[in-house]
Amino acid sequence: MTARDAFLTQQSAELRASDAHLNWLEDEAISILREVFGAFERPGLLCSCGKDSLVVLHLALKAAAPGVLPTPLVHIDTGHNFPEVIAFRDEMIANSGLKLIVGHFEDSINRGTIQLAHPLESRNVHQTVTLLETIEAHRFDALIGGARRDEEKARAKERVFSHRDNFGQWQPRAQRPELWNLYNTRLATGEHFRVFPISNWTELDIWNYIARENIALPSIYYTHQREVVERSGLLVPVTDITPPRSGEKVVTRDVRFRTVGDVSCTCPVASLAANADDVIVETIGATASERGATRMDDRANDSAMERRKKEGYF
Amino acid sequence: MSNITISNGARPLRFITCGSVDDGKSTLIGRLLYDSNALMLDQLDALAAASRKRGGANASTDAIDLSLATDGLEAEREQGITIDVAYRYFATPKRKFIIADAPGHEQYTRNMVTGASKSDVAVVLIDVTKLDFSAQALELLPQTIRHAAIVGLLGLVHVVVAVNKMDAIDFDELKFERVVAAFTKLAQALSLPAFTAVPVSALHGDGIVIHTERTAWFKGPALLPLLESIDLDASSGAHEARTAALIAVQYVTRDALDDHRRWICGDLAGSALDVGTRIRAWPSGASAIVTAINTPRGATSSAACGEALSIALDRQLDVARGDWVIAETSERDEVQPVRCATATVAWLGNAPHTQSRRLLARHGTRWLPVRITRVFSRLDLNQGRWIELDESDSDRANEGVTTNDLVNVNIEFASELPLATFAACKALASFVLVDPSTNVTAGAGMISSVE
Repeated sequence: MTARDAFLTQQSAELRASDAHLNWLEDEAISILREVFGAFERPGLLCSCGKDSLVVLHLALKAAAPGVLPTPLVHIDTGHNFPEVIAFRDEMIANSGLKLIVGHFEDSINRGTIQLAHPLESRNVHQTVTLLETIEAHRFDALIGGARRDEEKARAKERVFSHRDNFGQWQPRAQRPELWNLYNTRLATGEHFRVFPISNWTELDIWNYIARENIALPSIYYTHQREVVERSGLLVPVTDITPPRSGEKVVTRDVRFRTVGDVSCTCPVASLAANADDVIVETIGATASERGATRMDDRANDSAMERRKKEGYF
Repeated sequence: MSNITISNGARPLRFITCGSVDDGKSTLIGRLLYDSNALMLDQLDALAAASRKRGGANASTDAIDLSLATDGLEAEREQGITIDVAYRYFATPKRKFIIADAPGHEQYTRNMVTGASKSDVAVVLIDVTKLDFSAQALELLPQTIRHAAIVGLLGLVHVVVAVNKMDAIDFDELKFERVVAAFTKLAQALSLPAFTAVPVSALHGDGIVIHTERTAWFKGPALLPLLESIDLDASSGAHEARTAALIAVQYVTRDALDDHRRWICGDLAGSALDVGTRIRAWPSGASAIVTAINTPRGATSSAACGEALSIALDRQLDVARGDWVIAETSERDEVQPVRCATATVAWLGNAPHTQSRRLLARHGTRWLPVRITRVFSRLDLNQGRWIELDESDSDRANEGVTTNDLVNVNIEFASELPLATFAACKALASFVLVDPSTNVTAGAGMISSVE
């Protein structure tokens, strides 16, 4: 038996975040959000209504309370959305009085700033254009996002306050050192920051927090029946945008989404998890990483994410 | 949910690993991630593929080169180096861990200072294959002296010395003891806090998550159980409590339900803060009584150091971002606003500092101009001691301060600030220096005495 096996045998496989642990993450995130509220003139909060951005929104509402949220929500709409997510978004906005700004991918196409090779091409890469156009139109000086360092290796090196030049580019080799909680929030004209309050959270932390705080999510995060095809180890959802290829067999499976992005590049996993507690159990036992199990876009090559980020991708 | 155990109440432990790739630092981190099951199958597949591609496959770890688990950016993979601090996460049922993985060579001071400023504990790696055991007095490498000096400066409360590559010296207990003796001498010379040494082989997994037969002679815990057991509140809590409760004001907001009620938001430093406490706002000097405290968990009558608070007062005070709220107390050291102090500065900017240069400082949430009036000593990292710079020695004075220098300086802020020494209160003692012409973060400062 190796040292590793001995250690793992000794551990109970169950891991549930303690309250002290979640409190520490919560305090840190709220402190970062208040830096944004206090130090910037025109902040925005990127919200795709995915689980990470809904956790950030929940934290932002706490950071602002008992005052009102001082930032609008910003959604970059690729037009290739899961209808359940858009319905969730619209209902949330209608009931909350929050302000929503939508950057439409279609507008970029109409302006000619995005040209698709073919109509069903993945829009994930191109949405950077719409994002940067939205930033420019609203002159955002800080955009809060729900990226986490544990998601991907290029993100592991990203600062909490990530500086973008006036072309929206990330320069990984010229990042500002970040010391204590004394963030250098200074900007020149046309530049902005991407700010990541949940940098230090893992997928398991997110689900523990969703369970503890009872945060509502779009229904597709929990088990439901869906038509899929099996393609190179992924369950690819059958939609108008991702129709089955010839020879592929459409099957109905019990699935849930671990991440929710553009329809054209997001796949569900087989699951019977009906609530956050069930998902925690599955996450503890998961053998594939969050992006590895669900994203077609990262598979392009080893540095796919890093290259997209340098260009200004979220 | 009955099968899920709730772990104890430990907050995450943040630690920085000090060492270079050659010391097996990447292997050590990869080993911690792998042995604690933090690497997923697809990540292991990617690792195996990368190991084959690199030709660095290692038969004893199932053909996976664990050091590649920490490879990040494209440029790094191409050049086989590490450019920047990367953060890694793993958890055991006892605790969540955040590793600041700071590269060991190029720009090491800058990266180590950055990583250490957000860490509770330092894990210093010593590669035994680089030591000369035939010498009468065992000499540690200059880089170990550098790592120890920086760890000491940044006031980390715990140091763990991982004595690595024990497999290469047949797990020789006497040699391990000689390394411990040499580090003990260094720790005394640099006034480091107490440290714990552990014999390990990151490559083979001895002493990392568990002791194997080969390290069974060692009576202390293995590295991971040791990190699990460190009680942060006992050390850092007592440390911070020397100062009155204080908040650097981040943001002031109006109550959505009561337009006349304002809430002051910021992180609590120093001692606990209670409802009913009299506070003084700085710089206005006006005083008021705390009538309500909210933490992210809800309203409370008493908040602890580190919590993100919003507080309400019994009267309207002129308080804004950049100000401080400080509890009035007779028991603690009083905070006296001053303009001048001595400080240790780690110079991080690529451009050297010269006396004529204009700088901005961020202290708490306030930005203000600052001037370094004299550089009086410089840390010789190879020897681990401070070299006095004679004022009459004009050559040295004109040399300026260059990247990665650690210097003691006299500093003058443009207006008074509530300052304290780093040993008394990190929140009042730390500041960053920014070059206003480029907005680049040029330095990290720690107050050493207040004039």
